[in-house]
Amino acid sequence: MKKYIWNRLLKSILSILIVVSIVVIMVYTLVPVSKIFENDPAHQKLKTNYKTVYVYGKLEELGYLDYYTIGEMCVAKKSEDINACTTSGSQENIKVLNEFEADGFTVEELTQYDELQGRSFAYRKYSVPELLWKFFSKLVVIDHPYKIQDPKNSDMNRGYSIESDYNNIPAVVCSGCNYKYQLYLDSSFPFIHSNILKFNFGISYPTNSGVATIDVIGNGQGSMKSFEQKFPTGEVSKSPILQHTCKYKYETDHLDQKRFTDNYANCTLQYDSPSMIKTSYIFGIASLILAYLIAVPFAISMARNKGKTIDKAGIALINILVAVPSLALIFFVKYIGFGFGLPDKFPQLGFTNIKSYILPVIILALLTMPSLMTWIRRYMVDQANADYVKFAKAKGLSKKEISQNHIFKNAIIPIVNGLPSSIILAISGAVITESVFSIPGMGKMLPDAIKASNNNMVITLTFIFTSLSILSVFLGDLLMTVVDPRISLNAKKGEKK
Amino acid sequence: MENNIILSVKDLEVKFKVRDRELTAIRNISMDFEEGKVVAIVGESGSGKSVFTKTFTGMLDINGRITNGEIYFENEDISKIVKDSEWERIRGKKIATIFQDPMTSLNPVRTIGYQISEVIIKHQGKSKEDAKQLAIELMQKVGIKDAESRYDEYPFQYSGGMRQRIVIAIALACKPKILICDEPTTALDVTIQAQIIQLIKDLAEEYKFTTIYITHDLGVVANVADIVAVMYAGQIVEYGLIEEVFYDPRHPYTWGLLSSLPQLGDKGDDLFAIKGTPPSLFQEIKGDGFAPRSEYSLKIDFEKEPPMFKVSDTHYAKTWLLDPRAPKVEKPKTIQNLHEKMLNLTSKGGVYSDRDK
Repeated sequence: MKKYIWNRLLKSILSILIVVSIVVIMVYTLVPVSKIFENDPAHQKLKTNYKTVYVYGKLEELGYLDYYTIGEMCVAKKSEDINACTTSGSQENIKVLNEFEADGFTVEELTQYDELQGRSFAYRKYSVPELLWKFFSKLVVIDHPYKIQDPKNSDMNRGYSIESDYNNIPAVVCSGCNYKYQLYLDSSFPFIHSNILKFNFGISYPTNSGVATIDVIGNGQGSMKSFEQKFPTGEVSKSPILQHTCKYKYETDHLDQKRFTDNYANCTLQYDSPSMIKTSYIFGIASLILAYLIAVPFAISMARNKGKTIDKAGIALINILVAVPSLALIFFVKYIGFGFGLPDKFPQLGFTNIKSYILPVIILALLTMPSLMTWIRRYMVDQANADYVKFAKAKGLSKKEISQNHIFKNAIIPIVNGLPSSIILAISGAVITESVFSIPGMGKMLPDAIKASNNNMVITLTFIFTSLSILSVFLGDLLMTVVDPRISLNAKKGEKK
Repeated sequence: MENNIILSVKDLEVKFKVRDRELTAIRNISMDFEEGKVVAIVGESGSGKSVFTKTFTGMLDINGRITNGEIYFENEDISKIVKDSEWERIRGKKIATIFQDPMTSLNPVRTIGYQISEVIIKHQGKSKEDAKQLAIELMQKVGIKDAESRYDEYPFQYSGGMRQRIVIAIALACKPKILICDEPTTALDVTIQAQIIQLIKDLAEEYKFTTIYITHDLGVVANVADIVAVMYAGQIVEYGLIEEVFYDPRHPYTWGLLSSLPQLGDKGDDLFAIKGTPPSLFQEIKGDGFAPRSEYSLKIDFEKEPPMFKVSDTHYAKTWLLDPRAPKVEKPKTIQNLHEKMLNLTSKGGVYSDRDK
């Protein structure tokens, strides 16, 4: 069984690597470079040679190419006379330029008329393997006590210790790591958290420029929310700082020194609204629960009374829900809800008011219900015609007993298989519903990122969705072994453990 | 005589509604089942064997209903029971059924133990622990070794023969008065067939239940039955003790059935088959339903339905050939010396000499 799980995990990781590689290659080689700058206001303002320099600088930052200004070239080639080297036309300068050209770089000169005119620069586009290596080599960041190399603080203690945090709960604390708190407990799911392993997907650009893509979707939204807390120095004040997230700060200011006894002062702040992922997840899960609560009993009674009124009513409902375009349904329900005094835009009442959630959750549930009902009814009807049901009837069991103790257990097997993906992939959000209600969720992230050529965001989302899909299929299969005794993870079926 | 009749069917008629048309599956059957006897109902597919026995437990499909007649069981006309909840006190408890395919008769995702003890809890009102004890005893009785450890196993961990044993154990869990075996061995291989038949035979003696076999395997019939009823197109056309029906058959259809036994064919000759197809049950059958396929049909066969002629106290046949005015007809050559042939086949050195072992 262990062997199977390992095998499966390896295959999963391989699949993720392949999918992400394809997306990385697509994004870096197929999206025209000019598209990236279309939405960048800084690029639009710049003119002449400064624009060129900005473009190449940005492309290097985004990982498209290796870019050298003349100064960098001179330093890289260890030129003895930097001044002569940077002067175009000088012997030293030409020597360095030739060396770079020999290394496979394209050497060009800034031609437009301004103070940068005549300066040379070199760039080299990364090949596909290089692109992939650059992406994957920095993808996983593991924190360790020798991570921080601060010349101003070179004699800092390095190592782990167990301390109590600001809530007086024990936590694993590290000195020398990027993050102070390596392992800590708090009241939010899954209660134990770690900062040891982080994913680095690069920064978001041109939308949310400069923020790490993972923070764009994962950090809180709205305005900062302060709360009373005690800082390591003993100061008690109202602040939005989340101390568990503090990272090493190279330059601490007096405010930091008032609060923190060490350099770990670069912290994430608390916001009053949940992150995009969390927002979508709240809606996703709530609607999923509602959909299952209605669809499962409904479908069961439909199957049990096949061909009777309730079945016909259910089929009519399914047909209507499937036939009406979802956009029409969304607006229809929205206006009905509006008539009952429910907000038609999410931000009107915001996150704290339960009324904001009612309409979107109902709509999302209505959209998931038809397929769920169709399948459960279908599986129940299928099973009801099985021989074991006939025999159960001959045993003298009542219809209810047969349905509950025999048919249902068989019929839910395929449903259970799909359950983890419904639960996990709820984070991907609902595009139309979220747009209609102006919900700040994940739904529109991917289409927007593609539209804005936010390459890193596209890759980040691909990675997250791919990994979660593969994980949920895996979990679905594991769950199947729980509900169906015939399925075993052992190679030999039916062998005793 | 009347005392030991356990189940009595009178003028039973069953109709099915199929796509707005009505077909008559059972046409006026009257038959008594004697307590403790083994009755075999034989006939080709579609002759109404299964439908006939399904009426005893209210297991007719939803589009079928009893349109006429009575079925008396324990002084009650069970043909009048409509509600499923009322059937529950008879079905499984007093009249149990086992079906032909043991592979699919058990719920694949429930343990064997659960499926046996479920019946005991339901019909005998035992506690879970008592039911488990009884279930394990039953499993041992039907020949499951290590019953205790296999109690919590699932059907897929059992072989076909063992599953059929479990099905039998479930059927016997409430000590039924009647056990209906709907082709119990069709899906099993020959060696297992013999074991299962022997098992049912032994259990019938021990639990003293009446067995009704539905089968088209005449080998099984010869092996186990006391009484044979031959069904054709929803009617019983011949009825009698096993010896009478096998060695002195009177109905042309029974002749046909027996002649089609492949074991009786001579090497090199074509096997015998009854020509034609059974009549459509959607239309009213005029006269003798078998007449169009029979080589021996008389003019009257196409005009008037024959009555049940009495051959002996225990032997009846529904054919005009038994009318005193009918011409004398010899039964086909193949089965004329059936007794002798059977002896040859089953005696030492014969093809089926080890059948009884």
